[in-house]
Order: sequence, then C-alpha cells, then structure tokens
Amino acid sequence: MPSVVCMVVDDTPALAVEGLTKRHGSGAGAVDALVGVDLTFARGTFTAIMGPSGSGKSTFLACVAGLERPTSGRVLLEGTDVTGWDETRRTRMRRDRIGFVFQDFSLIPYLTAQENVALPAKLAGRRAEKQAVQLALARVGLASRAEHLPSALSGGQQQRVAIARALVAQPAVMLADEPTGALDSATAREVLRLLRSAVDELGQTTVMVTHDPLAASYADKVVFLVDGRVAGKMAAPSVDAVAAQLAHLDQLVGAGR
Amino acid sequence: MKALAVRSLRHRYPAAVATFIAALLGTAMMASFATLVESAFSAHEDDRELLIIMGGVVGGWSTVIVLFSIASTVGIVAEQRVREAGLLRTIGATPKQVRALIVYEAMVVTLFAAAAGVVVALAGGPALFDALQRGNLITSASSYDASLASPSMAAGVVVVVGTVAAWISSRRATRGAATFSLRQAEVPVRRLRWWRILLGALLIASGLASAIVTITVTGKATDAYAAMQTSGSASIVAGVGLAALAPWLLRVLATPLRPLLSGSGSGHLAVQNLTRRAGVLAGMLAPVIVFVSTAVGTLLMVGIDDRTLAAAGDPEGVGDTIAMINAVVIGMISLFSLIMVVNATVAVVVHRRPELDRLWRLGATARQLRTSVVLEAVVVAVLGIGLGLLGAMATAVPYSVVRHEGLVPNGQLWLPPFISAVAVIVTAGAAWGAQRRAAR
Repeated sequence: MPSVVCMVVDDTPALAVEGLTKRHGSGAGAVDALVGVDLTFARGTFTAIMGPSGSGKSTFLACVAGLERPTSGRVLLEGTDVTGWDETRRTRMRRDRIGFVFQDFSLIPYLTAQENVALPAKLAGRRAEKQAVQLALARVGLASRAEHLPSALSGGQQQRVAIARALVAQPAVMLADEPTGALDSATAREVLRLLRSAVDELGQTTVMVTHDPLAASYADKVVFLVDGRVAGKMAAPSVDAVAAQLAHLDQLVGAGR
Repeated sequence: MKALAVRSLRHRYPAAVATFIAALLGTAMMASFATLVESAFSAHEDDRELLIIMGGVVGGWSTVIVLFSIASTVGIVAEQRVREAGLLRTIGATPKQVRALIVYEAMVVTLFAAAAGVVVALAGGPALFDALQRGNLITSASSYDASLASPSMAAGVVVVVGTVAAWISSRRATRGAATFSLRQAEVPVRRLRWWRILLGALLIASGLASAIVTITVTGKATDAYAAMQTSGSASIVAGVGLAALAPWLLRVLATPLRPLLSGSGSGHLAVQNLTRRAGVLAGMLAPVIVFVSTAVGTLLMVGIDDRTLAAAGDPEGVGDTIAMINAVVIGMISLFSLIMVVNATVAVVVHRRPELDRLWRLGATARQLRTSVVLEAVVVAVLGIGLGLLGAMATAVPYSVVRHEGLVPNGQLWLPPFISAVAVIVTAGAAWGAQRRAAR
C-alpha cells in the first residue's frame, strides 16, 4: 500500500478518471452509459478498452476527450481536473493536450497530408513547425506523400496521417477510437505497430477503444467494460486470452438480459 | 427505387426544400408571364404587342435565370449524394438504379413545387395584368384571359429542366468505382465538363456581341429603343455565362488570396476549402454573379434611359411604359436571384455538417468554425461581385455610350456599391445562419 501512495505522489498519471458516470436522457427512459468508472493511466502506457457493444467504451472516450460532459465524476488530465471546463477550454485542451485517432480517420478532405498534420497547431494560432510535421510524417512512413490530398491516399495511409497528426504535438494522451475498424487486417497490423512504437519510442501514453482482440494484444493492459462498469483487467494480453474473456463477457451480458 | 426515392426525401429535408423553393418561385414567375402571352391572343389589338413583349421577351429572360437557378440547385443537391451513392452501390445498387433514385427525387420535388407554382401564378398572373392596366400600359378594352394551359406549360418546362439537371449531375455521383466513393475523402477533383465551358464561352461571347452591336448598329438606329433591345439582355447573358464557369473562376481567383488569409486558423481553412473545393462552393458563387450582373446592368440602363430619353427622342411616348416594365422585371429577377443566393449558400453550408463536426472534434473552436464559414462566404460574395460587375458592363457601358454619357454613366453611381453591399450581406448572412444549424 505505501508504495502505491509513493507512485501517485511522484508520478502523476497522464490520465485518470474518478467515479465517471454518464447518463443519457432522464426519467424512466434514462440509460446509464457509464457507472462510477475509476481508472488510472500511467505515463507511457498503452491501454486497450474493450467490451461488448453498448458497454460504454465510446462514451468513455468522448467524456475523456471533453466531447461529452460526464453526469458526475472527474476527469484528470496530468493531474488537472478538466471536468468543469467550458466548451472553449475543452476544445483547446483537445487541440493542445490530446491526440485523437478515429475509426473514420477524420482527415479534412481539402487539406494535404502535411496540412492535416499541421492543422491543430494552425487552429491554435501557432505556426506549425515544418520540421516537426515532416518528422511526424516520416515516423509513419509517409514523408513522400506530404503534398497529397487524402483522396489520393489509401485507407491505411490516411490513418497513418491521422496518427502523425495525433503525435505531432506530443500530447499528454493519445486517444484512439477503433483505429483499425475500417482497415483490412494487414493494414490494421501496420497501424497497430505504429501505435505501439509511439508508446515504446516516444513514451506516448495511449488509450485505445477496440473490439478486436488482435488490436488489444498490442496493448500493455486491457480494461473490460460491461454495462458501463469495469468488469475486469488483463495485463500482457494475448489474442486468445482476450478473445476468450470477451466471449465470457458476452455470455454474462446475454444472461443478464 | 421509386419508393426508396420518396422515403429518402423525408430524410433530406433541407436539400429537398432548396429544390422545392427554387422550382416553386421559378414556376410562379414564369407562369405569371406566360399568362400574359395567353391573354394577348384575345386582347384588344392595341395591347397585343405589349402583352407579347412583356410576357414573351421579358418572361423569356426571366426564364433564363429561373432555369439556370433550378438547374444549379438540383446540381448542388445531387452532388451532395456522392457518398450515399457509393454506399448504395456497395450494397448492390447498380449505377443505373442510383441515378434513377436521384432523378426520381428531383422529379417528385419539382413536380410538387411546379404544381404549387401554378397555383401562385393563377393569382400572380391577374395581379400582373391588373398592375399593367392600372399603370395605363394596357387599355381597359382588354381583360385577363388565360386558362391553365400557359401556366401548365411553364410548370412542365421547370419539371423537365429540373429532371434533366438531376440526370446530368447523377452521372457524377455514380462515376468511378463504388468503393472509391465510399471513402470519406470526398474532394471531387474534376475538370469542368467541355459542354459547360462551351456554354459559358458562348454566353459570354453573345453578351459581348450584343454590346458591340449596341454601339455599332442599334445605337445609331432611329428607334430610341433599338439599343435597349440589344443591350438589355447583354448583362444577363454574360452573367449566366460567367456563372457557368464559376468553379474554374473561383479556383483561379481565390488562389492569390492564400497568403492573405492563411495567417489565422480559420482563414487557413477557408482559403484551402475555397481553392480545393471550388466545385462545391461555385454553387454559391454562380447566383451572386447573376444577381449582381443583372441588377446592376439593367438598373443602370434604366437610369441612363430615364436621364437621356428626352434627348434621344421619344416619338411614341412610351418612355414611362418601358420604365415601368423594366422596374417590374428587374425587381422580380433580382429578388429571385437573391433567393437563389440564400438557397445555394444554405445548401452548401448545411452539407458541411459532418466536416465541421470533425473539425470541432479535432479542436477547432465554435468561433473558429463560424469565422471560417462566414469568411468563405464573404470571399465568394466579393469575387461574385467583381465578376458580376464585369458582366454588368456588357449592358451599362454600351448603353451609356450610345446615349452620349461616355464610358461611365452620369448618374446612379451609388448603385453598384449598393447592390454589392446587398450581395455581401445576404451571402454572409445566409452562411452565418446556416452554420448555426450545421455546427453545434
């Protein structure tokens, strides 16, 4: 127990949520998407959030990113409580402190690869450092595609641009929402290797929501959500172990309904 | 596909409403003029010519603008469906079926709108006739006498044009492989079609030709109104011609603005969107050009006419009549093209909802998005004004020359800035209103 206390004091986690609760709607028709979730994400770790559909994975990510406001509970980004921040402040936080990777890539269609990578800095009113942008694109192996529009890139390449965009500002945490959901398995592996190397080489704290056991096997730790609650954790996950656990959880959900 | 078309309409309210309004107002305007022509057949001999000129010639020019705007609205709406078309095709719809869906949709909407337009015209036609009679342009010997035939014909033309425009645009939505259109990267990188370049060039050339003819031939005629006949339409024709080339013009003219605007985040977004998605935003530019060129060109002409009529000689004493006709027509055309500006702007901005949402998730503040959208609209308006004033010169300059006012008319110089201000305010205002719905 004392050692845990020491860790908290010495090393503020990149991201923590305390009693995170999100209720959609009100009255009899209200749905609890998250119920008192407590989680801590240490710096430089790669965590996968898994669970059956409707388990609250996406709501969790939306609350952490400030896209949605939790009903109660706190979100701490590098020790700072960001829960009560207004819309503009949360937007700035998303731009400056969070790197986002989406299932649909979310590239802006009329900006080239390098302009997409430089966009958050541009929105922040900073001049994007050309070198940093080039470096980020080189990291994901797309240095030669800097001038291409998204329409000239394959799905995997588009997602790699999105990763470069998420990494370029060295965010406190990188959030990935089903990053391989729209990709074939070979391309998905490429993308997952990139996420892994960002954690290993840059110490980039990463939280990834996924339903794919293969994707989860690239993480250090898997957190399982069921009906908005933490239903288990698994360290050093393997594809088979994750798949087995998911099947088990599906049964639980099936029995519960 | 018919059932699907009707069902999909319910989910595309704003888009359908845009088409509906354009077709409704267009039909109402065209059909009202058409009733004048029909009434001419039974009218008193003295009134026949005026009714035919008013209904046929003047109505004819409004028809050009009406049809142009209906075609462009339907085009914008169909263009927005590239992604959905891709989705339908991946689940097994043939390109033909997808096109049928788009065409049916346009047909259903324009059909209902045109029917409503006929109803409006049944009131509008007599009102127009009455106005002409009260203005002593028509003797009391004649009376309004139009059946359903002429308004129905106008409605038929609107439906056909709307449907054909949808058919042409639907080819874009189904061109290429289905999987390609599914991707989110939706920037349509395509060149202007040859027929559009040809059409634009022909219209501009014919506007210029009218201008030259006005100075060299009709301006020297003994009939004081010969010059007006050739020069009055020049700015409308030239304006529509420039509007046909709008995607190309927007790309070319917005590119030099890059360094100017790309300083701020929102300016950066605006200018990249303007140049790289010129094809989409041209839908906003086109009606601005037509509005400015028509309103400025013809209103200046009326002003010049007013000042110089006495000197030019008004043997028939019809000066007041002509001024009155021009006022009615220009008023209606201007109003109509202004509605088109709003229509097109709203359609374009609302369509960007997913993209604005994406930008918001990436950290663009609501204010940045607002600024970006409005900035785009202002740039489009300013370019449209520049091009529109160019088009207006095709009427104003020659007419000013033949009426001995020189290259620049002697009066009414407040008019171009006034019309320009209206164009900017309406375009920016429509974009501002639309983004409020589009962004969160």
